[in-house]
Amino acid sequence: MSSARDRILASIRSGLPHAELPGATEARPVLPPAPAAAAPNDLSALFEAALTALTGTVHHAATPAAVAHAVASIAASCGAGTYLAWDEAEIGCPGLFEALTARGLRRVTYDLPFDAGGRDAGVRALEDVGLGITGADAGLADGGALVLASGPGRGRLASLLPPVHVAILSASKLIPSLPALLAARPDLVGRGSNFVAIAGPSRTADIEMTLTHGVHGPKHVHVILTA
Amino acid sequence: MTEHPQPAAFHTRVDSALADAALHAALSLTTGRLASGRASAFASLPGADGIRDAARAIRAHTVSRLDHYLTEFTAAAELRGCRVHWAETAADAARTVVGIARASGVSLAVKSKSMLSEEIALNHALDEAGIRVVETDLGEFVVQIAGDRPSHIIAPIVHRSRADVARLFKNTLGAGDDEVASIPAMTAFARKTLRSEFLRAGMGISGVNLAVAESGSLCLVTNEGNGRLTTTLPRVHVALLGLERLVPTAADLGVILQLLARSATGQAMPVYTNVITGPRRKSAGPEPGEPDGPDEVHVVIVDNGRSKLLGSELAEILYCVRCGACLNVCPVYREIGGHAYGGVYPGPVGSVVMPGLEGLERWHDLPNASTLCGACRDVCPVRIDLPHLLLKLRAQEAREGIGPWWLRLGIRVFTAAALRPRLYRVLGNLAGRLSAGLTRNGWFTWMPGHFGRWTESRDFPAPAAKSFTDTWRGARERGKERS
Repeated sequence: MSSARDRILASIRSGLPHAELPGATEARPVLPPAPAAAAPNDLSALFEAALTALTGTVHHAATPAAVAHAVASIAASCGAGTYLAWDEAEIGCPGLFEALTARGLRRVTYDLPFDAGGRDAGVRALEDVGLGITGADAGLADGGALVLASGPGRGRLASLLPPVHVAILSASKLIPSLPALLAARPDLVGRGSNFVAIAGPSRTADIEMTLTHGVHGPKHVHVILTA
Repeated sequence: MTEHPQPAAFHTRVDSALADAALHAALSLTTGRLASGRASAFASLPGADGIRDAARAIRAHTVSRLDHYLTEFTAAAELRGCRVHWAETAADAARTVVGIARASGVSLAVKSKSMLSEEIALNHALDEAGIRVVETDLGEFVVQIAGDRPSHIIAPIVHRSRADVARLFKNTLGAGDDEVASIPAMTAFARKTLRSEFLRAGMGISGVNLAVAESGSLCLVTNEGNGRLTTTLPRVHVALLGLERLVPTAADLGVILQLLARSATGQAMPVYTNVITGPRRKSAGPEPGEPDGPDEVHVVIVDNGRSKLLGSELAEILYCVRCGACLNVCPVYREIGGHAYGGVYPGPVGSVVMPGLEGLERWHDLPNASTLCGACRDVCPVRIDLPHLLLKLRAQEAREGIGPWWLRLGIRVFTAAALRPRLYRVLGNLAGRLSAGLTRNGWFTWMPGHFGRWTESRDFPAPAAKSFTDTWRGARERGKERS
């Protein structure tokens, strides 16, 4: 007996000769060129304008000490005492955790176990964490979006579970758009199990088309742009 | 959640939709905003026409080599640790998901919005198996607690008011007055209620917007973030993939993603463009692994009529990326809403997909529920010629004798006359003279006997008092006199 896979593929192969597929070409189509790169200053201004329009906030910091100060101020303003974070080396801001500890903030670390019971307990322990801190692999100027690839020391939950997400983004990682990134760095997509572009705070308009923020993901997104 | 009910007669559903003033107000607000949002989002996209051409070419090419790309996708996904399942029918697909849940001892599943899960009546199957499933998209959550069905591909509760939602939250979930006092309060209440489900669920179920063949990746876009939570928190992730929803490479994905949210909601990008490539990576030797993400990712590739549709004259509908733009501009959808169509997929796309997947016998009313104005074709990000496909279905209806007898008889009489020029001329002149007293402003609004079945729902054009042939002949004779 043949498998469902074999039968479905056979059904596709027997259908294709009769399929009316206007515009189909034998070869893969040539893609339109990605938008041309703007000057670095333009990218930074574009990014800031786009993210601000989405109700995100952009901060500028020149030194690691200034980054730590900005993160601590955000934590204070939202009343967070604990945070989830990527590893310091992945964020690319040495001394950050030490400075946050000095300001009374505690990092909650986790590595979810591979058994169902242990995993449930591990997830529930993260429920009330107030702040998530990550780096970013790229910033998309046209959409005001952050690009994050998961990996060791780069948990997905830091940008997802807490009500406030702070990302530290080097201005050198700004690029014009998602198609430009996917054309230039297709490897980034499969580098970890998860690749995500985040354009501002979580939102919904399901009830009477009324825009509301923070439905499942973070309600506040802050980006600290470093030179 | 019930299995799909046998729909009431199409015209009955349409009549009750047209009589519903609240529905009408909600539809014009939502579709109006979504359509104008789409228009301005495209106006601000440089080279939009070229991007749409490329998106169409990508989808056309992929569908034309679907067996190749499905094989490539499967190999790449399995290499990354996904388990790939194939389901020929809706029942097979639902059974496969139930089987995965049972094998993992799952009693609670969370689900992010998936039209394919509606198509395979998954919630019903999970309920029957004693597995609780919770919809997590805010709109779908409301649909679920109301025992309702979504009425729009991307705005599932366009037919419900804030007062409806407040009443539901109070009556079914015990929300307090302050928790339903405003839309933000209701949203916060839903977040709190659903967060505890996310933290306890053993399985997350999602759809897939597009899968990348080369890397075996699954792309899912959401605004709320429920798609990310569904595919990150539970130990097991099950993704439902319609077998045509592939692109060859990540670069192709980038092209189509420029159009998807713009077409759906008028956003330049969705809030979350989430791409999943296998389960979380385990540590290898001294290399640490990823701290979170699902331990298992299952992909269920669903046929359910698609491969048969591929071998037909409707195959172009498989280019569709389910943005919902064609609904928002359709003068019929804007009047009657999604439920009146009776199927899982409403609007112009649904009027091709439903008969395409489930047969014209059951859905022959839908291709006729169109003015063929072409607004759907104009906004389609992949330029599907929807009016053309609807016409093909109407031709098939006539060819196979599916429609009501009085309509078939009318078409046969017309065909017989139209094939005999002299008879046509005589009958035309006769009809022009006889109908003069029965028409108003060039239209029949009433016709006698069984012909009245037509004018119950729409006017019928009156024949011209003087036929085209006579006008033409008259003009030629006047021309000759002059020369």
